[in-house]
Amino acid sequence: MDEKILKEQNKVKRHGFSVLFVHWTVALSTFLLIVSGFGQMPMYKRYKIADLPGLGWTADYSITILIHYLAAAVLILAVTYHVVYHVMRKEYDILPRKGDLKESYLIIKAMLLNREEPAGDKYLAEQRLAYAFIGMNLLIIIVTGVIKVFKNLPGIDYTAVFLIWVNDLHTLASMLLVFGILGHLAAFLSKANRALLPGMFTGKIDLEYAKHRHRIWYERMDRKSIRSTSTHRQKPTVPLDSTSVRQHAAGSEKTNSF
Amino acid sequence: MSGITRREFIKRTVAAGGAGGAILYGFKKPAAASVAGEQRTAAVGTLIDLSKCDGCAGVEVPLCVQACRQENGAKYPNPVPSKEIHYYWPNKKKEDWQDKKALTNRLTPYNWTFVQKVKVEHGGKQVEVAVPRRCMHCENPPCANLCPFGAQAKTPAGITLINKDLCLGGAKCRDVCPWGIPARQAGVGLYMKIAPKYLGAGVMYKCDLCYDRIKAGGKPACVEACPKQAILFGSKAAMRQAALERAREIDGFIYGDVENGGTSTFYVSPVPFEKIDQALKKQRDQQPNPSAPGFPLMPVKVGNYLDTANGMALSMLVAPVAGAALAGFTAYQKMKGGE
Repeated sequence: MDEKILKEQNKVKRHGFSVLFVHWTVALSTFLLIVSGFGQMPMYKRYKIADLPGLGWTADYSITILIHYLAAAVLILAVTYHVVYHVMRKEYDILPRKGDLKESYLIIKAMLLNREEPAGDKYLAEQRLAYAFIGMNLLIIIVTGVIKVFKNLPGIDYTAVFLIWVNDLHTLASMLLVFGILGHLAAFLSKANRALLPGMFTGKIDLEYAKHRHRIWYERMDRKSIRSTSTHRQKPTVPLDSTSVRQHAAGSEKTNSF
Repeated sequence: MSGITRREFIKRTVAAGGAGGAILYGFKKPAAASVAGEQRTAAVGTLIDLSKCDGCAGVEVPLCVQACRQENGAKYPNPVPSKEIHYYWPNKKKEDWQDKKALTNRLTPYNWTFVQKVKVEHGGKQVEVAVPRRCMHCENPPCANLCPFGAQAKTPAGITLINKDLCLGGAKCRDVCPWGIPARQAGVGLYMKIAPKYLGAGVMYKCDLCYDRIKAGGKPACVEACPKQAILFGSKAAMRQAALERAREIDGFIYGDVENGGTSTFYVSPVPFEKIDQALKKQRDQQPNPSAPGFPLMPVKVGNYLDTANGMALSMLVAPVAGAALAGFTAYQKMKGGE
């Protein structure tokens, strides 16, 4: 697993390279897609954004469409990577669960009233819901976007009604995504959530924070590391002379104490 | 290998790839089926023979223009009075043609075809050319493709139509059209029901090739009205063939076959279109407001606005494959290492 308790550093490794790669690739490509997407609606010229120094290009549809296509390819790459990677590894912690709506309410209430929150897993209920909201909108945008790309190719024509659905779903999901991203960023206005920020840069978060706010997750990792230590002790893969057994056991303990 | 067997790895790879593929391209099938359905319907086309058209010499308004206005008058915009139409905030302008309904010397929301007349020198002679102008009804229309709201579409017959109930008048279609054909009228349409002071700008209007007539098995009004049979109507393939033959016959030139990736309007001219384009440009520059819309030129072999973007479409197909391969490799390495 990418996640583990790093007691010596007083940290918990929350995300590995794959999660950081996907998060930042999606963030950057989505930012470019939103900027260039608004450019595909006749807005920047009308509202004089293109008159600002250095922004004349924003009114040129032929430039913004190229940015949109390139960023879309990057987004599709990242999303495919994300889906394939986690399905292969059977990692589904971030998917919403039954009762998440109620639990989110309890967490937010506890945050506002400064009370004890319900025990959290790797992702809190509202984080799982936020993921589902943003993820669902991204999927709608990608599917409709891919259809829009096909539609632009010579020899491919869709019916007028289908085009209205595709275009308007694409636009609607994009607007919802913008709200989702604003909500995602607004979460960091709350101090309680800020300790998660380093996790998205270094992959690690504070150990005490994880223990307190993500207790279920922490305890699971803890149990796993104990189990792994004992498994190693029971099934040594090194020659069974007494010296090497002692060395191997010490080595496993050391590994798991990270 | 610890942590995962080879069989399990393959199983999970297939499952993950399937999930990703279904998510990314799951909706493609019904769309492709509808395309195949549309392609079965024969496309229509027109041939405009400039060796026959004289712009109805001696008549104030050419008969094709008159017929068009009569046929389509009921479809023309019906905006609120001029004084009630807001400027396109924050700009101090609006496109309002309701006081210029009588104009017949350019394309406006109230005039969907007109005849340009130019004199060009060819073969040592001054040749007068009259060019009826209107929407070319392109093969791969950037106006319809790039409308952000899906307010335009090409019918199975190859006619591009604007949905006046959905159009917000952003005029992107006019910007991406090589000839700047669609004309905008403010004070009408959907935007008037939303926030007309701040959003939207009207509705775009252009030739619909008398779509209702064609649906009923008829011909466009301009075709029927032409006293010289200079405008012909038929299947697109037949019109293209006729244009090629006519061009051979008069040792002339064709316009509309390759322009913008192909159109369903084929002009045949005894003089090169480069010369017509130059003469039109000169004429436009002498107008009081040369940048005013509605006076199209004839750029020869003009490309399609989407050529570059379509060239990049392949990257869309490569992206999910690359993403899946990269993820598969990373996940496999990790699981192999027992993580």
